[in-house]
Amino acid sequence: MEGVMVGIVEDPYRLMEKWLKAESFMVIGKGVERADSLDKALGRAKFVEDFFEAGTLFVKQVLSTEPHALLKGVRADEALRSPKVLRVITAPDIPGENQVGYALPDQPLLAEGKVRYYGEPVALVVGNDVDEVLKAAELVRVDYDPLPALLDPLKAMGRSDVLIHDEAAGNIAFRTKVRKGDVSKGFSESDVVVENEYRTHHQEHAYLETEAALAIPGLDGRCTVITAAQYPHLAQSIVSRVLGLPASKVKIVVPYLGGAFGGKDDEGPLVAAKAALAAYLTGKPSFLIYSREDSFLVHPKREAAIIRYRSGASKDGKLLAIDVTIYHDTGAYANRGPFILWRSTVHASGPYEVSHAKVDGYCIYTNKVPQGSFRGFGNPSVQFAAESQMDELARKLGMDPVELRLKNMLRPGSRTITNQVLDHSVGIAEAVEALAKASGWGRKRSEYGGGRGRYRRGIGIGVAWHGISTSRGVPDWSNAVITIERDGSVTVRTGIIEMGQGSPNSSHRQIVAEVLGAPVDKVNVVFGTTDAPDTGATHASRGTSIGAIGVFVASAKLRERLNSLAAELLNTSPDNVVIEGGEVRVKGEEGVKLRWEELVREAYARGVEMSATGYFFLPKGKFRDDVGQGQAYPAYSYVAAIAEVVVDTYTGRVSVERVWPALAAGRIINPVQVEGQIEGAVAQGLGYVLMEQLVFDGKGRIVNANLTDYVIPTSLDAPEVMKPVYVEDLFKYGPFGAKGVGEMAFIPIPAAIANAVAHALGVRIYELPLTPERVYFKVRKVRGGPS
Amino acid sequence: MFYRMPEFNYFRPRSLKEATDLITRLEDFKILAGGTDLLIDLRIGRYRPKNVVDISGIKELSYIVDEGGIIRIGALTKLQDIVESPVVRGKLLALAEAVEQMGSWQVRCMGTVGGNLCNASPAADTAPPLMVYEARVKAVSTRGEREIPITKFFKGPRETELMRDEILTEVIIPYIDGAGTATLKLGRRNAFTLSVVAVSTLAKVSNGRFEDVRIALNAVAPRPVRAVRAEEFLRGREVCMEVIDEGSKLVVKDISPVSDVRATAEYRRDMSVVLTHDALLKSLRRAGFAIGGE
Repeated sequence: MEGVMVGIVEDPYRLMEKWLKAESFMVIGKGVERADSLDKALGRAKFVEDFFEAGTLFVKQVLSTEPHALLKGVRADEALRSPKVLRVITAPDIPGENQVGYALPDQPLLAEGKVRYYGEPVALVVGNDVDEVLKAAELVRVDYDPLPALLDPLKAMGRSDVLIHDEAAGNIAFRTKVRKGDVSKGFSESDVVVENEYRTHHQEHAYLETEAALAIPGLDGRCTVITAAQYPHLAQSIVSRVLGLPASKVKIVVPYLGGAFGGKDDEGPLVAAKAALAAYLTGKPSFLIYSREDSFLVHPKREAAIIRYRSGASKDGKLLAIDVTIYHDTGAYANRGPFILWRSTVHASGPYEVSHAKVDGYCIYTNKVPQGSFRGFGNPSVQFAAESQMDELARKLGMDPVELRLKNMLRPGSRTITNQVLDHSVGIAEAVEALAKASGWGRKRSEYGGGRGRYRRGIGIGVAWHGISTSRGVPDWSNAVITIERDGSVTVRTGIIEMGQGSPNSSHRQIVAEVLGAPVDKVNVVFGTTDAPDTGATHASRGTSIGAIGVFVASAKLRERLNSLAAELLNTSPDNVVIEGGEVRVKGEEGVKLRWEELVREAYARGVEMSATGYFFLPKGKFRDDVGQGQAYPAYSYVAAIAEVVVDTYTGRVSVERVWPALAAGRIINPVQVEGQIEGAVAQGLGYVLMEQLVFDGKGRIVNANLTDYVIPTSLDAPEVMKPVYVEDLFKYGPFGAKGVGEMAFIPIPAAIANAVAHALGVRIYELPLTPERVYFKVRKVRGGPS
Repeated sequence: MFYRMPEFNYFRPRSLKEATDLITRLEDFKILAGGTDLLIDLRIGRYRPKNVVDISGIKELSYIVDEGGIIRIGALTKLQDIVESPVVRGKLLALAEAVEQMGSWQVRCMGTVGGNLCNASPAADTAPPLMVYEARVKAVSTRGEREIPITKFFKGPRETELMRDEILTEVIIPYIDGAGTATLKLGRRNAFTLSVVAVSTLAKVSNGRFEDVRIALNAVAPRPVRAVRAEEFLRGREVCMEVIDEGSKLVVKDISPVSDVRATAEYRRDMSVVLTHDALLKSLRRAGFAIGGE
């Protein structure tokens, strides 16, 4: 009977609902300082590389210098001539499975039989002297039998004579589809139709810290890997698969990371597996770190997309039909390409209601570096296309772009292109209205634009939506273990990692402190470890949303127990117990009845368990992959940005002067962290849309695999980022209603800047990036002749 | 720490004399001044010298002295010291403008003016301003010393007039009274970037005509160049927008840009004209001659 009672009292749905309704907060919504600020400012915070000590073996990768070739053999005799070089490891040395593909089983850890891109890891050189190992890596001879390389996805998809994966029927790795209504009917009813082809490009993550892992063999055949990964349990599973060990023998620790942005979600488990392989085969601690150049060559990039987009609308500005075809150049391996394509496909409409939609997606193999996870995950490119289309429609209709958007915007009760009814948490229309007002949109839009003279000013908007959690029925969950120690300090164990975003170090502490009523400085979060229960990855903007449900629920369970205990001690009912900042009171009564430490001591004395887990498995609806209809995501987070630019038409340089951001991302747990996310995303988005560009040669080699010639913005390129507009459209399963921010902030930036440039020039550029050179020649072409 | 640096013998002379003596007898060496270019070049294998002579400890080669009539800058003067020098800011504005746009603060605190010149990159940013100031550089060896006009110093990409036993010790810049100078740089971002093209100009006006005009560009030829045909056209002509328009276009006759990962030749050519035009107007303004309609 008692067990049943606890079951009801600690039911996560009930607890989440209860806390969602809270009306005032102690620390939620406040700019609480991060736990790691001081250590990072003083250089005391430890990153993977800081664990490298003299005596640790050093590992260097040998990379393919062919884009597509049969692997005839690897000759290591010269490399092994140095007594300090212990091993050269190749695919046949792998004790477990040489298979690390995430979405499809198509990718080896070390090349086997064939190489499929320039930069693919072929061998690992291991030794006990860094210089000797680096030298030896250059002496490993790899014999290739070159095959024709396919670099253009549109050509590759039609070829069956050259197969990048012999076991596949063609070079299309994956297809997606959405079919809603009847597009031919929609277009026949349309008064205006706009059709364009958009091209977006790869983006390098360029994190401060490159990929690294230190693997340490332990007792009883165990292995601990300190690694730069975004999902400890995934790294564990990949390491265990490659080594042929049970997962329980592999422990992953993710220390502070110098940025990840999705790149370490893909590459993290692989770098861990490579270091672990070296440690396993030598029996000694082994350390692998990618040089900046290797990082550029090896790890997956933001998708390069070609998007053909046709939109139809009625005279009065109702969006009636869209027909979209998306081609993703997935490179040599599918990696997470199919998931990226799904996200792109089901978001193709932008945050608008449209009755008739047809979307086709193709994920195509080429002999280039793989496509992978990067902040926005397939969404920024398609939102760029969708938002460009909205501006083009507005121009044809003679309508203001914000007005057209608001007319079609998703609202509570709307149906998405997958026919999902949005039952709650849809605050974007309100956010866009507030944003237009804050930025002075109406006046500026009519004053600027289509100007003459050298310097032309423009203002543009990008609005976006982003499904939270995994797509369709793909399982998603959260968890954490929280223990209130005997002294009243609180230990939180989560698999969520700290990559600079601050989730474990700020928002998790706030959630726990708020729910328990404990002082924030009593809360210590042990993050990024397989010692915590599987919490899922720190990706998809979930660190403070889905990923934090675990700490939310676990602390809510403990709070129920504390309230019951306090009620018993204070002769009142649990509902009347107030615990705030470590002080226990009774509602309506004067004075502090108990201190936090006393309450905890009583709990231990009376046998109240002071540990709890916060497991929560997200309910998911039905989705039919064959027609792309159904519940694509449990809910959506929304974002908008308005950008103001000045274009120097004589040089083609675009200066982004100001950006106004708006979020309808549910509860804002820590506004300072959110502003940090927004400012970083604006800079990263600006870099992507204006200057960053990987250049491939005829062999599919990245020519500018360095930070000299792959340029990312500096502080002098950054615009002024204005105070964000927040519409807190609470999500019922988010901690306190939070939906997540990390990716959101990035997604509308390319669209907003590109639309502002199009407004300034009166002419649109359909291919990114908008480098000075591209803008200059476009303007010159339009002007007809040189300046 | 985890990058491979090729092996070499390392020397660190403490005086100029010690350095010149050393390189007279040393074979196959590279000189390290600030190291901001050399270390990267060693890493990427552009050079594989047996010996590296680190002269950064020679304190006697770091100075900025205004002698009245000429300014002397020691070859090992850090770029950041040049940016912060009131002498340079006051008398050599085009140089100050060029150097403040070089690298980052960290790089400028390591890199030296002599190093930038001797590295002889076609995109060397100190070259255009020094070329319009018609600076001379002093080369010292055990055989003695000589001065080389900066306009004759660059022979080609990474090639200079220095003999193998010579060390560049000083940059000598004569005053130019009554002239306005300016440097404009176009890179791929607003800071910490290599030139797509940079232009320095000098303009001196008397009786409404160009008494003197000098134009130098980088990154658009195998070496930094003076645009002599544009200069010849402008010299003696009336200072007006039409003349400047026409004169600026002539810079293409003295450049031969190539396409690379940073820009196409065509873009570089067009931008050379635009930047020359803008820099001339800025120089004229600084010479006290504002062109109407700007």
